[in-house]
Parts: sequence; C-alpha cells; structure tokens
Amino acid sequence: MAISLTVNGSPLTLNVPGEKPLLWALREDANLVGTKFGCGIAMCGACTVHVNGEATRTCVLPCSAVAGKEVTTIEGITAKGLNAVQQAWIEMQVPQCGYCQSGFIMAVTALLDKNANPSDAEVEAAITNLCRCGTYPAMRKAIRRAIELMKGGAK
Amino acid sequence: MNAPSKKPKSSFRRKFLIGTAWVGGGLAVAASVGGALAWRRVSNAQKFMLPVDHAKGESSFNAWLKIAPDSTVTVAVPRQDMGQGIYTMLAMLVAEELDADWTKVKPEQAPLNPVYGNMTALVDGAPPAMKSMVGMVSKVLGLQATGGSTSTRDGWMPMRVAAASARAMLLAVAAQKWSVPASELTIEKSIVMHKKTGKRAPFGEFAKEAAALTPPANVSLKSQSEWKLLGTSPPRTDVVEKSTGNAQFGIDVRLDGMLYAAVKHIDLVQGELQAVRWKSGAAPKGVLHEVRGSDWFAVIGASYWSMQQALKDVELVGGGATAVMLSSSRLAEVYERVLDGQDGDLSPIAKPLRRTFAEKGNTLRMIAGTDVAKRVEAKYSVPFLAHATMEPMNCTARIRDGKVDVWVGNQAPTIVQWLAASAANVSGDNVTVHTPYLGGGFGRRSDMEVVRQALACAKVTGGKPVQVIWSREEDVKHDAYRPAVTCKMSAAFDEKGGVGAWYHAIVGPSVTKAFIKRLNPMLAGDDPPDKTNCEGAAEAPYRSAFANFQVDHAQVDLPIPMGYWRSVGHSFNAFFVESFVDEIANALNKDPYLFRLELLKDEPRFAKVLNAAASAAKWNTPLSPIAGGKVGRGIAVAESFKSIVAQVVDVEVIGKQIKLRRVVSAVDCGFALDPENVKAQISSAAIFGLTAALKGKITLKESQVEQNNFNDYGLLSLAEAPEFETVIVNSGDALGGIGEVGLPPVAPALANAIFAATRKRLREMPFVM
Repeated sequence: MAISLTVNGSPLTLNVPGEKPLLWALREDANLVGTKFGCGIAMCGACTVHVNGEATRTCVLPCSAVAGKEVTTIEGITAKGLNAVQQAWIEMQVPQCGYCQSGFIMAVTALLDKNANPSDAEVEAAITNLCRCGTYPAMRKAIRRAIELMKGGAK
Repeated sequence: MNAPSKKPKSSFRRKFLIGTAWVGGGLAVAASVGGALAWRRVSNAQKFMLPVDHAKGESSFNAWLKIAPDSTVTVAVPRQDMGQGIYTMLAMLVAEELDADWTKVKPEQAPLNPVYGNMTALVDGAPPAMKSMVGMVSKVLGLQATGGSTSTRDGWMPMRVAAASARAMLLAVAAQKWSVPASELTIEKSIVMHKKTGKRAPFGEFAKEAAALTPPANVSLKSQSEWKLLGTSPPRTDVVEKSTGNAQFGIDVRLDGMLYAAVKHIDLVQGELQAVRWKSGAAPKGVLHEVRGSDWFAVIGASYWSMQQALKDVELVGGGATAVMLSSSRLAEVYERVLDGQDGDLSPIAKPLRRTFAEKGNTLRMIAGTDVAKRVEAKYSVPFLAHATMEPMNCTARIRDGKVDVWVGNQAPTIVQWLAASAANVSGDNVTVHTPYLGGGFGRRSDMEVVRQALACAKVTGGKPVQVIWSREEDVKHDAYRPAVTCKMSAAFDEKGGVGAWYHAIVGPSVTKAFIKRLNPMLAGDDPPDKTNCEGAAEAPYRSAFANFQVDHAQVDLPIPMGYWRSVGHSFNAFFVESFVDEIANALNKDPYLFRLELLKDEPRFAKVLNAAASAAKWNTPLSPIAGGKVGRGIAVAESFKSIVAQVVDVEVIGKQIKLRRVVSAVDCGFALDPENVKAQISSAAIFGLTAALKGKITLKESQVEQNNFNDYGLLSLAEAPEFETVIVNSGDALGGIGEVGLPPVAPALANAIFAATRKRLREMPFVM
C-alpha cells in the first residue's frame, strides 16, 4: 500500500505493506540507515526516531500508524547542523562502538525538547535505551552538558 | 639518525634492538623467536607499500602510512574498531613520531597482508592453537585479528618505527631543498621548520620525493619526555561519525541490486538441519531463493523484514550425530561429579581431561593433613553467557566473475578470507574483505559462521550481492558462548595462622578448542593446553605468599558452541580467586584490603594499584546509610592481558534488590597512552562485567537455549549503572592491554561488597539475594 508521510521535512510515499515496521521502511525503502535494528521488540531503543516530536521505537511500529505524520531521524537532526545533544556527545566523547548512539541521541533530544532541565531521576526514567559498550558514565556527563548548551542558546 | 639514501631498496637493511619485552611474555618458544620475527616484520613493512589513491596524489612510505600533498596522513590500521578506540590509538602512534597535525590524520582499515599479522596475540597464547590449524608459522604470523587486548602492544614498535622512518625521509628532502642540515629541522603539526633561516613548509610538499628514498638504516624513536600526543587524549577519529548517524556498520552496507537473507537455525544449540517444512506447503511469495546450511536455513528476497516474516512459516527439523541432549541442570550435576573426582556416569559428557596448570610445594598433602576447622573451602560457578553485541550478526557477500567481496564487521579478516575462499572455492587472492565499524565485538566477531552463510547465499543469487542478517533471537540462541565453569577452592592455615596452602580445582571446557572446532573440527586438539582455562588462577597474584599452591583443571568437552568472550578465562577466574581470598580474610577476621596487601608484600606492582584504588575510594570512610537497606564496600584486584586493575565497589542492598552505587578503579597498564580512553574502557568493561554479575545467564533445556532477547537476557541500563571513578597508575612497566582489563575484578568486588553489606556470600553468578 502507499503510505504518505513527512520524513526529515520532506514528503515521502512508501509503497510497503502497512504492517511493515517503520524501522525497516526507513532502512530498506528510504535508504536512511542511521536508525538501527537492535532487538525487534522495542527493548533496546536503537531504532528510536521522532514521530510528531515524540521519541518512538520503530522496530514494532507499523508504517500504517505513521501515515500523515512527521518523522525525524538522526539524519534529519544532523542535516540541520549539530544539535546540543550531538555537540555534547562529541565533547564528552561518548560513543564507543557507536551502534546504539543514534537511538540515544534521538531519545535524549526528544526529552530535552520537552523538559529543558530534567533531574537525574527524570533522565534515568526517560532514557531506557541499552548500550552494550557501557558508555553510560560519559552519557551522563554529556546529557548534563547538553542541558548547559541549551541554556546557552544551542538548539 | 642516519640520513636516508638513494640506494636501491633491495639493499635495505635495518638494525635496531628488538627485545622480547615489547611482544610480551607468555610462551617461551614463541618469545625466543619473537625478536627475530619482529625484525623481519618491520623490514617487510618497508617492502610492502600501502596502496595509494592516485587521485589524491598520495605517496606510500611503507605498509603503515601514506601522505598526501595536503599533508593528510593516512594510517593503515590492521585491527578492527569495535568501540575500543583502536583506530585512534594506532593512528596516534604514527602521528606522534611524525609530529603530524592530529586533525589531518586519518586511520583506515589496512588491506590483508602478512606484514600486519598480530604477533602479540600469537605470543600471548591464543593463536598457537592456530598454528596446528594452518600448519605453518608464517601463515600464523599473517593472522590479522583483534583480540586478547593486544592491538596497541602489537603496533607499538612497527608503527612508530614506520613513522619515524617516514619522518627521516621527509626531513632529508626538506634538508636538500633548503640546503640545510636535516639535524636542524623540526616538525610541528605537520609543518617542517628550520629555525635559523625561518624556512617552513607543510611536510606534504616533500612527500612524493621523500617516499621515493630508501628508508634510513637506523631510526631513533622519541623518548617519552618528547611525546606531545601520547599520554594525552585527542578527539577520537570516529566520534563525529558515530554522533551523527554517519558511521557505517556492516548492516548499513547498501549495494546495487542487493538482496537480503533472513536466517533461522534449528532449535537445538548444536546439531544438523535434517528437514525443512513450510507450514503452508511452499515458501511464501517474495522468497526468491531458499538455502539450506549445516544447521540453518535462509530465505532470500528483496526485503529483510519480509524474509523474516516468511521464516515464521517454516519448521526446521534438527538432529543428527552432533546433536547431544543436554540441560543446564544435568551439566551442573556433571560438573559437581567431576569436581568430586567421580568420573563415572557423566553422560552425555565424556570423561574429563585432568591436568595441573600450576604447582608449588605439596598442596594436596597439606590440605588433607589440616584439621577441617583450620581450612576454608568453597565452590563457585558461572553460567554460559552470550555476547549480545548491539549490532546483530550480519554479512554481505557478492560472488562475481570469480571474485568474492565480503563486507562484514569482524575481528579477524584473515579468517573471513579463509572462510570465504573455501566457501566460494576460489583462492584467497580473489577474496576482498571489507571491514566497516563493528557494532560491538567482545570476541563475538571472531566467530564468523555468518560469513559461511553469506557465501552460501551469494552462490545462488547469480552475482547479486546478498546481505544476511540474524534476528536478535538467533543471536541469543546461537552464539558461541562464554562457557559455564565451576570450581572448588580450598585453603589450609599453617601453624602461624597464615595461609599455608591454596588449592583451586576448575571444571570447564577449553574455549580455544571449541573455537577451532567451529573453524575446522579436524584441527581441534588438546595440546598445547589451553591456557585460557586457568588464566588468572594459575598465576593468581597471591601465589608468592603461599608455600603450597596448586591449580588443577578438568577439561570437559561440551556439545555447545563456545567462543572468546571479553576477558575470556579471566572473566570467571578472577571471580573465583578474589571471592575466595575475601572468604579467607573473613575467616581470619582481617580487613579484606589489608589482608590482600599482606599477601602481596612481594608483589609491589599489585600492592601499588590496590593502594591507589583503596585510597581513591576512601576505603576506611563509612558509606552513607540507606533507609530500609544495607550498604557495603568490596575490593578486588586482578592482572589480565599484562595490566593490573583494582576495583572498589560500593553497593546498596534493599530487600532482594542489588543497587550499584559507585565503582572506583585503579589501573596500571604500564603507561596510559590515551588516558581518557583508558578510563572509558575500564568503565565499559566494568559495566560488561556487572551486567554478567547481575543479569547474565544462558541456560539450556534439552539442548535449546531458553533465553530469547533483551527481555530475558538483559543488559545494565543507564539508571542501573553506577558512578565511576578511575585512577591511572603509570608504573612505566611494559605496556598492557586495556579493552578487557576492567572486567575481571568487578564481579568479585561486587560479591565482596554484598557480603560486607549483608554477610551473605554469593558464590554463583548471576547474583541473587
């Protein structure tokens, strides 16, 4: 079926079965491979994108559910220049293998868009993605740094 | 420094001192030939030229580096980056000797060539087993593999020599052009300068002519006091790509006409595929090809997702001679019997191979002759573990016109080449291995069954490339697992009340044998003994304090795929040793930190690291209490991969919940060449170890793995991760590894902390209150 949506600001029509998860439509049909496959059961968050601004795990999200919606992937964020989270990620040298990082950056970006000054507890409650390299100590620093950067006017 | 000359390259001879120290100790035979081989290796590196990109005007100086006219330095990295930062580290070695501008240094994956073989891994012990597999030492030396925390130690000499040699050649050209002595030239951030005349030019301008010179016969390397980059932490070369979604992993490879394959293995963890039954009678629409493998089945089509859906409709029948029914409960019984010396009914496990890995004095006699009241005894056990790399296993292959291309995140491109050549029935020269970033490795990506699968699929697609992807469930259920291991430890006190004897009996399989068996069953053997079985136990740091010391191993062959898992044997032996020494301290009513120090009186390097951790953790400062729970602090120390790490864990125990508060580590890896990355690797490995300690468990029921995905094989999360503090102790000793060394002591430090909090001794991983 043809499903029309907005991806990274541009209209896109996907000719895919409605039940095909958005993750695989992005990776296979839209050639946007920055969003990763990690578990297929929405446990790890590697496939996180923004759907109408909400951090959403796409490995179990059927394309039929995103018709008419605005989807932003890591590529869409990057295309507008590094955001505060990415700047902080680079400054704190967070990534190791890097595979889960797009998902984390999308999750943290969505959190800070809603709550510019979350407490540590709020961060921990909201960011439930998994990182096998255990980059969490650097991530904690980077999230605090991103909050500072945003206070200073970074997007 | 001798000036480079224009003598023909064939007359090139190099002489410089290569001790065996830099390649590490380990096997005496390998070490004694190490010096000569290292010499040959560096001279070979001068003969093999890194291929250049003519469009960029690059000039190749040797196997390790090339320089473009704009002074961009490309460094060939023959190791794979799985997150440990080795692209950055090895590029730093070259940049340092060249005084290159770090922002213009670009690491890239080296081609396959014997000159890049990981000799340190050979000397350290893993590849000697490979020796029998390939049959000749020269081939072993060509093994390009990343493991055993060897990469920096292995690149340390040849890469710096290669860069120093290029530097001398660049300066020789500049000196000639400017008519000044080369000895008066300096380089700063890729700019060659002559202070007296004020002349300066980027070294890229001299690259082409310099590369044509014969390398100098002697080069001197910078002394540590001259280092500008080493010992600092410049930005990693991969962090921007990895923070923008631009880093390419194997699963991101996209090629014209590429098809996708989804793979399903038989339900049994090991066995043969005997039949394939489509529930609806035939393959669903969209399945272009069906491929049957030894214990797996794949379907190929235009979409991975649709192929995964198709596999829901298939039933695989598994069985055959290699399928042996085994459950974790039975394995535990077998281990128990072997520990107790009863080799009778161990079915389905064969009689173990019992060997002694370390022996001093007469340990067994002393223990037998000591009253039970003056002995401490304990049994410990750890389960099978999966690696669970975040990037599921995948491989892309194309067979076209007799040429094979393989794109795969892997820890051993040489093995990938062997497997692909064998599967496609071509010579290795016709196989090109492309290694992108690895979405996690931890040992998993040295086992390359997925390459065989991709080649089998590529054979049927008429030249179209095909990307094989495993689901997470396949990954969890069909890993090459860290083995389950059990042990019994005994200590006997002497008349003075000190530890007079230490006996450690371990039961488990040989990982190396299992690993080789998966590559080629004909070549898997029991000799030489697999030292990973007892690593961390046979050379326990306390052995110097005991008059009687013995470590025995009963090797059992298990019908389960097993492989190298971050820190390998250290991942369990440190838990055994460091828990038991804590139990002895408790039996003697001594402080666990001070008791260790007492035992380490003849091991100053260990003592220093232990003191550094205890001091940074404020060992004697009580933990702040927690309402409704208990708090405790534990300590442990372990040497692995030539580095020593001590860790202090603070824990909160609230009912059945174990909450990690803080991990303080001290590390002596000789010298921290990139201190921030050292810290990142220590906390990374510690979190890997804490995940195992609190959550990791793969169990078998009738030879089927019971776990499926992250829902029942969980990973530590951000909220669960403790605070970290890491202290670096630069002892100046020989370089040690860093990617795995933060793992071994963390689980016992946690167990010891839980004991301190609750007086409950946890002897089985994962820990359950």
